[in-house]
Amino acid sequence: MSRHQVRVLVVLALAAYPALYHLLTQSPVGVEAETLLPRMDTMVALLYFGLFAVSFDFISGYTGYLSFGHAAFYGTGAYFVVLVANGKIPLVPSGTPFMITLLCAGLVAALLAVGIGLVSFRLSGVYFAMITLGFAQVLYVFVRGLEWISSNPRDGASVSGSTHPEGFEVGVPFVDGLNLAIGPLSGDTVTLLGHTLGTNAVSFYLVGAVVLACYLAMQRIIHSPFGQVMVAIRDNEERAEAIGYDTFRYKMGAFVTSGFFAGVAGGLFAGFRRSVTPENTFYFLVTGDALLASIIGGFGTLAGPIFGHFFDESIREFLSPAGQGGGLLPYLQTRLSEGVLSAEVGGLTVEGFIEAALNGHASLYVGIVFVLFVLYVPNGLVGAARDRLGGPVTEKLPDRLWDR
Amino acid sequence: MTLLELDGIETYYGESHILEGVSLSVGEGEVVALVGRNGVGKTTTLRSILQLTPPREGSITYRDEQLVGLETHEVADRGVGWIPEDRRIFSQLTVAENIRVAVPDRAAVDAALSLAYDTFPILEERQGQDAGTLSGGQQQMLALARGLVGDNDLLLVDEPSEGLAPQIVADVGEALAEAARDTTLLLVEQNLPLALDLADRFYVLDNGRVVDDGDAEEVSADSDRLRRYLSA
Repeated sequence: MSRHQVRVLVVLALAAYPALYHLLTQSPVGVEAETLLPRMDTMVALLYFGLFAVSFDFISGYTGYLSFGHAAFYGTGAYFVVLVANGKIPLVPSGTPFMITLLCAGLVAALLAVGIGLVSFRLSGVYFAMITLGFAQVLYVFVRGLEWISSNPRDGASVSGSTHPEGFEVGVPFVDGLNLAIGPLSGDTVTLLGHTLGTNAVSFYLVGAVVLACYLAMQRIIHSPFGQVMVAIRDNEERAEAIGYDTFRYKMGAFVTSGFFAGVAGGLFAGFRRSVTPENTFYFLVTGDALLASIIGGFGTLAGPIFGHFFDESIREFLSPAGQGGGLLPYLQTRLSEGVLSAEVGGLTVEGFIEAALNGHASLYVGIVFVLFVLYVPNGLVGAARDRLGGPVTEKLPDRLWDR
Repeated sequence: MTLLELDGIETYYGESHILEGVSLSVGEGEVVALVGRNGVGKTTTLRSILQLTPPREGSITYRDEQLVGLETHEVADRGVGWIPEDRRIFSQLTVAENIRVAVPDRAAVDAALSLAYDTFPILEERQGQDAGTLSGGQQQMLALARGLVGDNDLLLVDEPSEGLAPQIVADVGEALAEAARDTTLLLVEQNLPLALDLADRFYVLDNGRVVDDGDAEEVSADSDRLRRYLSA
């Protein structure tokens, strides 16, 4: 059982987060807590995008084939959910329960992965990365120009208020009382132990449950014989082939599985945000963010990208200007006294300096952190912990903590 | 009965012509040594058989079936195993996973593990460890174990003694002799005493051609015969 302890702890910590955040922000250190801790909607974004990063790691970190066009699957899942909601997809009516729509979104993305994989796995190494990137960029341009999607496809599409005035009905099977909805408009609140959860917290738990289920499924696959062949392919593909494995079929299987989960992640994104644009779904920088999360968290660790993305997003939010998360900049602007702010050092007021150093430069600092990680923590957060402990963190950490 | 027959194979890496009409045969139950200097095409011969580097011309038959044109995994499915040189194992899988992955038939995994651990008890002690952390000799034992459990009728063994301490070479030799009891071996080896001790017959490769062949016992007594092809 010991290998589950760490996972259970992480899940419990996440589950306790909304209550903790609520308590801390109401407490005397509320302003500091708001400055340091990610807001609830950031936490939801962290979960669905974390799932996307995990699906990227599933194919790229475990088989060694870098799927640089992974955004194509995320975008497909996201657009699918919005288009279903707007009644544009035949056979899937607008009122379909969200969970079923989500499943379909994953399947459509998986189908796309079959097509892209059949062509791309003729190549390997950097050529594989480039051709998948090419496919994603073609789709990006295509979606930008496709007027069937909305009147202005360049700006993407939104869930229509006339079909879905509120959030998506999740439709928890067999439990009518739990007919919750996802998304900031849902208006659903749940009272638990005398504590009322806001709409973002409800979405947080619903998205979290889906992400957890997907993560555990991928975890199972990685530790199955199929997953061992994936690692064998990464290690030495010729040798895996010479043992008798049809490596093409294994690569396709892994790619399609990964595409499915990326589609689900995109579907969660669209369900929560209710609008999608080509830039935040199909664009190559979306894959870039997953790559960043994987490198910071650790390639080939599966859970690592979630932590990596958490790290990345926390820094971004902490350094973002007022109105976009209330990070360090507004904190300093409101907490430092007038005298300090207007003091001049070398022709520049302190306020001006803070503004110049912090406003809108989050990406710069994230970039510096990224370079430091590549240089000094090449195996990422989870990979470095694994090296330190001499084995998988979930197995070794409990021994370290309790048995000695 | 002939198990494997190579007839005039011509293999290229890009434009460089590596094998220039290699012909050889391996009988069922035999141990055949393929010897020669570095860079004469020994490994390429094995890669050609496995279709990792398919020959442009010539034929390779295994149990009277043409292998040229098949995929590598199809060659492996027919019972041809490979114990490659250099990095011999999947370094990021554990010892036990390395053995398990060598047995595509899931039902046979337990038997395979006990066969491997009986042959090399050290592997049982190290079963949970990443294979990349084993010593060179242990890695070679693991590679041999994988070849043994793969239910192969023909094992292509590439430089099993390369880079190993003399004591380990003796262990590897014993393991190969053990393997040879119920498997046919085509053995590429630079360590001539080891190769000739194990082999029934030998072929000498030089510049992509077979330049000599014969009975291993005969040539062991006549040490000058091979020297000119093998000394650098």
